[in-house]
Amino acid sequence: MTLMFVSIAGAVGCVVRYVFEYLVRRNHPTSRPWATVAANALGTGIAGYATYRLIGTADAQLRTVVLTGFCGGLTTFSSALAVPAILQREHHWGYAAALITTTPLLCAGMFVMGMSLAH
Amino acid sequence: MRPHITLSPKQLGLAMLFVALGGATGTLIRDLGLKINLYTIPRGSATYELADWTHQIPWVLLAINTIGVFVATDLLRHRLRHHDPNDPMRLLLVTGFLGGLTSYSGLFVDLAAIWHLTIGGCLLVAAGTILSGLFAAMLGLGRHRRRA
Repeated sequence: MTLMFVSIAGAVGCVVRYVFEYLVRRNHPTSRPWATVAANALGTGIAGYATYRLIGTADAQLRTVVLTGFCGGLTTFSSALAVPAILQREHHWGYAAALITTTPLLCAGMFVMGMSLAH
Repeated sequence: MRPHITLSPKQLGLAMLFVALGGATGTLIRDLGLKINLYTIPRGSATYELADWTHQIPWVLLAINTIGVFVATDLLRHRLRHHDPNDPMRLLLVTGFLGGLTSYSGLFVDLAAIWHLTIGGCLLVAAGTILSGLFAAMLGLGRHRRRA
């Protein structure tokens, strides 16, 4: 049963990320994936909040659905590194380097922020 | 070909369905993978209780993420190269399946757990994660170069 909820939550997370990407691309037709960065930052922030918010509750199912399901679906590691690699191949070196370095830093900041909000 | 960037409501609904299908499958596989516990193998009669920080390293998630980066780079560079971002195949495989399969947030949850034990170890794992991802991306690009 948990498995089904996790899948559904993951699907919802993915769709939210796609809608982000779609809206950004529609307004700024570009191959630059700042929507993915934003989705990763948001998902990591929610994960930071949820990790510490749900630490007291014994409800392991809710934890898995929110963290593994929704946050896991909302964030992506594959596009976060694959897209910069392709930009680098297309000679957008600075852009690729900026994406690779800012994503983890931004996510770490968001995680800590979410964590402090939960306390 | 100019990518069609604005979709009709019907097309958008269909696109979201593709993403949801891929995402549900990817998330399911990741969740099942994360259930693999490498360290609570019973030895003798007792189950080992482990305080060593290296046992907190999320090897399964690292492996999933690294494979995900490799496949995504390979697909985007090769098979789906000329497909626009709203192409059904790309939505299903890259945005949905690989996006659901890999996780950035899960990584930070695990890194936070290591941080409480050792800050140096946490930074080491974080650096290793990014480097393994970069390595996988380079492999994904390289495979295409040989073929071309």
